Amino acid sequence: MSNQLKDKTTEELIVEKHLAALTKGFQSWPTLEHGKMPALGDARWTADLIYSTWVQAQTGSVPKNGLEYKVGNSGGGFDLLDFKFADKAKASTAKPADTSISLNKRSFGKRCDIPLPFYGAGMSYGSISQQVMLSRAKVAKKWGTFTCSGEGGYPDELIPYKDHVITQVATGLFGIREEVIRYAPIVEFKYAQGAKPGLGGHLLGDKSSIAVSKIRESVPWTSLFSPFPFHSVYSIEDHKKHIDWVKTINPEALISVKVSTPNDVDMVAVGSYYAGANIIHLDGSYGGTGAAPQIAKKNIAMPIELAIPKVHKHLVKEGIREEVVLIASGGIRTAHDIAKAIALGADGCVLGTSELVALGCTRCSNCERGRGCPFGLTTTDAQLSQLIQPDRAAEKLDNLYRSIQEQLQEILRDLGLSSIKELRGRVDLLLYKRENQKEKTEGEKN
Amino acid sequence: MTPADIALQLLASRRSLSCENAETKEQTNEVEGGCGVIGMASSVQIAGRHMLQSLEQMRNRGNGKGGGIAAVGLVPEEFGVSAEVLENNYLLTVAYLQNQSRSQIEASHIHPTFEIDHIKELDSVKDFREIPGIEVAPPQVVCYFVRVKSELVEKFRQEHKLPSPSPYNSLEDEIVYQNSYQLNQTYYATTGEKHAFVLSHGKNILVLKMVGYGEDVVRYYKLENIHAHVWIGHHRYPTKGKMWHPGGAHPFVGLNEALVHNGDFANYSSICTYLEQQNIKPLFHTDTEVAALLFDLHHRMYGYPLEYVIESFAPTTELDFSLLPPEKQKIYRLLQTSHIHGSPDGPWFFLIAQSDTHGTTKKYRLLGITDTSMLRPQVFALQKGKATIGLAASEKQAIDAALTSLSEVDDRFWPRADAYWNARGGSYTDGGAFQFTIEKDEKGESSLVCTNKFSEPIDIVKAASPYFKEDLQENLQEDLKKDTSKEFIFSWEGEAEEIFQRAVKILKDSDQETIQSFLHALKNKSLENRVQTLKVLTLLLDRYYSLANLRRSRFLCLLDEILVSIIQNIRENPCQQYVCLPDSGEYPQPQNEQQTLVVDGERYDIEGDKSLARKIIEATQKFRRFLILNIHGHRFIGNGFGPDSKGIQIDVYGSAGDYLASGIDGAEINLHGDGQDQLGQIMKSGKLVVYGDVGQAFMYGAKGGNVFIRDNAAGRPLINAVGKPRVVINGTCLDYLAESFMAGDPLQEGGFVILNGIGHNSQGKIYELETCYAGGNLFSLASGGAIYARDPHKKLIPVQLNGGVFTELTDPDWDLIRPYLEENERLFGISLDYLLTVDGEKRSPQEVYRKIQPSKTKALQAEEAWVATGNKH
Repeated sequence: MSNQLKDKTTEELIVEKHLAALTKGFQSWPTLEHGKMPALGDARWTADLIYSTWVQAQTGSVPKNGLEYKVGNSGGGFDLLDFKFADKAKASTAKPADTSISLNKRSFGKRCDIPLPFYGAGMSYGSISQQVMLSRAKVAKKWGTFTCSGEGGYPDELIPYKDHVITQVATGLFGIREEVIRYAPIVEFKYAQGAKPGLGGHLLGDKSSIAVSKIRESVPWTSLFSPFPFHSVYSIEDHKKHIDWVKTINPEALISVKVSTPNDVDMVAVGSYYAGANIIHLDGSYGGTGAAPQIAKKNIAMPIELAIPKVHKHLVKEGIREEVVLIASGGIRTAHDIAKAIALGADGCVLGTSELVALGCTRCSNCERGRGCPFGLTTTDAQLSQLIQPDRAAEKLDNLYRSIQEQLQEILRDLGLSSIKELRGRVDLLLYKRENQKEKTEGEKN
Repeated sequence: MTPADIALQLLASRRSLSCENAETKEQTNEVEGGCGVIGMASSVQIAGRHMLQSLEQMRNRGNGKGGGIAAVGLVPEEFGVSAEVLENNYLLTVAYLQNQSRSQIEASHIHPTFEIDHIKELDSVKDFREIPGIEVAPPQVVCYFVRVKSELVEKFRQEHKLPSPSPYNSLEDEIVYQNSYQLNQTYYATTGEKHAFVLSHGKNILVLKMVGYGEDVVRYYKLENIHAHVWIGHHRYPTKGKMWHPGGAHPFVGLNEALVHNGDFANYSSICTYLEQQNIKPLFHTDTEVAALLFDLHHRMYGYPLEYVIESFAPTTELDFSLLPPEKQKIYRLLQTSHIHGSPDGPWFFLIAQSDTHGTTKKYRLLGITDTSMLRPQVFALQKGKATIGLAASEKQAIDAALTSLSEVDDRFWPRADAYWNARGGSYTDGGAFQFTIEKDEKGESSLVCTNKFSEPIDIVKAASPYFKEDLQENLQEDLKKDTSKEFIFSWEGEAEEIFQRAVKILKDSDQETIQSFLHALKNKSLENRVQTLKVLTLLLDRYYSLANLRRSRFLCLLDEILVSIIQNIRENPCQQYVCLPDSGEYPQPQNEQQTLVVDGERYDIEGDKSLARKIIEATQKFRRFLILNIHGHRFIGNGFGPDSKGIQIDVYGSAGDYLASGIDGAEINLHGDGQDQLGQIMKSGKLVVYGDVGQAFMYGAKGGNVFIRDNAAGRPLINAVGKPRVVINGTCLDYLAESFMAGDPLQEGGFVILNGIGHNSQGKIYELETCYAGGNLFSLASGGAIYARDPHKKLIPVQLNGGVFTELTDPDWDLIRPYLEENERLFGISLDYLLTVDGEKRSPQEVYRKIQPSKTKALQAEEAWVATGNKH
């Protein structure tokens, strides 16, 4: 905090500021009297995007005051893609377009449709607080969609929402017991994370508090490593066995396989399909919390906008595209990002950071410290985490979801499509802005 | 010219081979993962049909998109040639995918190069659709027994400026190799349409492969009655391409060897570059092909002995390297420096069938090599009787299936091997590789020798005969069926343990007649008192003891037979204590809470909806006690019970599959045999007892439970375990024990591992291993828990620990572990007294056990401690 006010402690100031923001909305934050934000965005998540996400979380619709709410300023990726809305005449206004997708396209197993083409990303208890987890679970339940447990145990408080919580089985197997596999409508195997492929998981000792280590059954205040990769899975046939294992415990569960985007990601996807996966979840490198090392985030794996079409095309070529759901994540920020990812070939997306931003994240990148997050999101600190009130936070997420749905419907309408499913793989509707924007983006480096 | 110069000149001669390969430019290698492999080598030639059962039982390791076999040391008559032709001619085996191309290919690539002494068109099933599951018509296969035209050899010598005289064989070998390369390139790799490719071209070695499963190859080409000294078989699990092609299936050949592979490596393109520098260009886009080419380069061209070839594949590193003798270090260092870029990096296990024509005497060989980190499952086995057979496979059950299949038709074999073991990759102890070599002596008698990487022999030392004397042998089967026993005085009074002890005393020095009488008596007793007999029989299966006049492995087979007969009897006459699960229809109603449900595993699938594991979950609705037998690799046994399964008790007999007891939370599982991989993964609580070894990644991510292992654990046991698992391992582990262990403080209800470092010899006697842990990584990155290692001679050194420290064993430590050692004694008969006896003298626990704990443990702050206790209450 730059200006220490009077005799109040920093903590008291933070609490006070939050209480104000909780009532007035986060968009009013930078105008509050207790100092400037420690940070507000970066090229990918610009200040405009953060503000507009806050506005959406508060009001349920996009800002009308000229804020850029569609793209960031990274000079690459989704920021250089746009839609060709040339033929607006075709647009139908009859009824809102269908934004639902199915998460099981196989001819067997239970049906599983979600009303929005995205669901919540895996963020573990430990990386975020229980309050944040609960907020996400509440909104998932309200919308009939899903959030994901992440790898850090399954707090009992989530059990009432279990039909809407994906259980993530990741390489550390923290908190994985048979009952949490049984709860899950979908079990997600996290093989790698796009932000740090090949590095496994890492929860620094600072965040491994008493409560966190209790649920993970580890030693408090020691850094926790999830290895890379699964020690029981070194091949595709092991992976099949891994799926068989989960199906022995929970035969009903749909299987999602989360992988990062190496060069041969297309073949990984095909292999996963044949091993029995319902969902292939590609995690690109733009995502991840501030806890992932910068060097990994910026240098490893293929950008998601390249990986999606590569995998999509390969699945089409193999003749299995209609039997598997392709989900993209890692830097999907806005409704427009979602639509672009789908146009590139995904069925749907997974949102993580956007939800945290909706709850007040400013992308200050203090996520790895125990009491680092000024907004009580990426912390399990007993005091700081009180800054999030699950019911109120769920409302914010609800607003964000509504706004995203409206925007998607608008995009579809302008493209003359009646369903999000029709948008999949329509690269012809996308426009690469590089040529037009050369002067504008030159010199900007991320 | 030195031999090395000649080798270089030969490699240079390949420069002229065109490398126009349209596909290499655009294709990367095919991703493949695991795969099921089996290999066997026998001093007597064995029929191909004995591969069937093993391969069938490992189908779940392939996907039917590629299967293959190789056979080495064939029978001349079966191919219509003389022994001399079989031995001296190249056996050029060509797969024709387009039958009409045959005459063209013969004209362009066979007749000009070779003198053909014999042609055999391999027989096959008339219509491939007769074998369910084969989707693509397999190629037509023609075997040519050929010699290179002598004028061509001379021409080749002159053309490539090789000295005269040059070793004729080397030139001939190379011409064969290059001729096949050109054939493959012209008719398989470059053309859009695939016409034909060379399956194999070494002497006395045959490779067959196709799109299908491994056993489909045996069936389709009617190899059931073809005999060979060495067999390897493979199921492939490729993931790329809608259309699979037979050329991509394993085995791949260099010249005199066929190689199958389980795993994949990350540096495929780096190895391709390495090979390219030697003018070697892969054609089939899979990492297995480059492995075979590497082997051929190092072994045939460079003339490295096998030990060096193995070192170039799986380098010895870290602590293991420093423990090598200095002269080995020197040469290994050179090998590593020269060949590290050609060293496969990643998870792999190779099985190689080799027809070794190097020396003066021909040798046939089976070689298994594991990667340095031991990331793929691998089991070796040896059985030594009138014939000696060595086996290696992905799973123990595949080995048992092959032995069972053999024993059914050939009384020289029996269903259990004398020894089963795992290789420790890149180690100073065994080098991570074992070879079974068959050689003929002057009299023409073949014998098999098993050696490790360092050519140290592995043998069944001083073991008793595995056969009954002839007269007894004849009576045995008959007598076991009869109900009337011979006169045999034995008291069945008292508890099972007492009866067992009495039996062991008698059996120790008994002649074979007494042993047989005892078995009869045991079987008869079962009619009278099942509970007691089963207990005694189980103890006989579970424990080590001395048998002077009959090989243990054979004795155990006879006990297996009695067990099956008892179960058969239960099926016919259920009782208060036991009832069998019927094949279909209603579940029996349990008569009482203690009644045991007997489940015949053979009737259920290995995994999936109709699996044994799911059947047991279903049965727990009614029963709490189970006896499972007749299993071969059945996976997930004891999984899926959910929380609080206390009271469920399962006894498993036979070769259980992966994930046994994974996730149990209260249940008790006794495995009367060896365990496979991933046992006790995420286990929460309860008890697991394994009367044998356990495989890879045992108790990965476990949270708790009391576990007792009679023998050894393979690689990565207890990795990432948290909470309070408490484990006794009586033998040792390959490496990476308790990496990232996070199991609190053992003195505050946390977890620990007791490592005893003992073994049992063939007389059933306990001995102390050279060290309780030879691996270079022990307790690495651990933040909690402890290891109590029995290490009276302080063989463990700090360099093995990465994050752990040795500390004194305190009285509270001893009070903590003592009950576990007492239970260990009760279960396995490994006495606490023995464990505390060092060099014949009883010592204090502090002198025998060392404690290893995390070096950094942060003391809790006052406030944290308060919260911690607050949470507990």
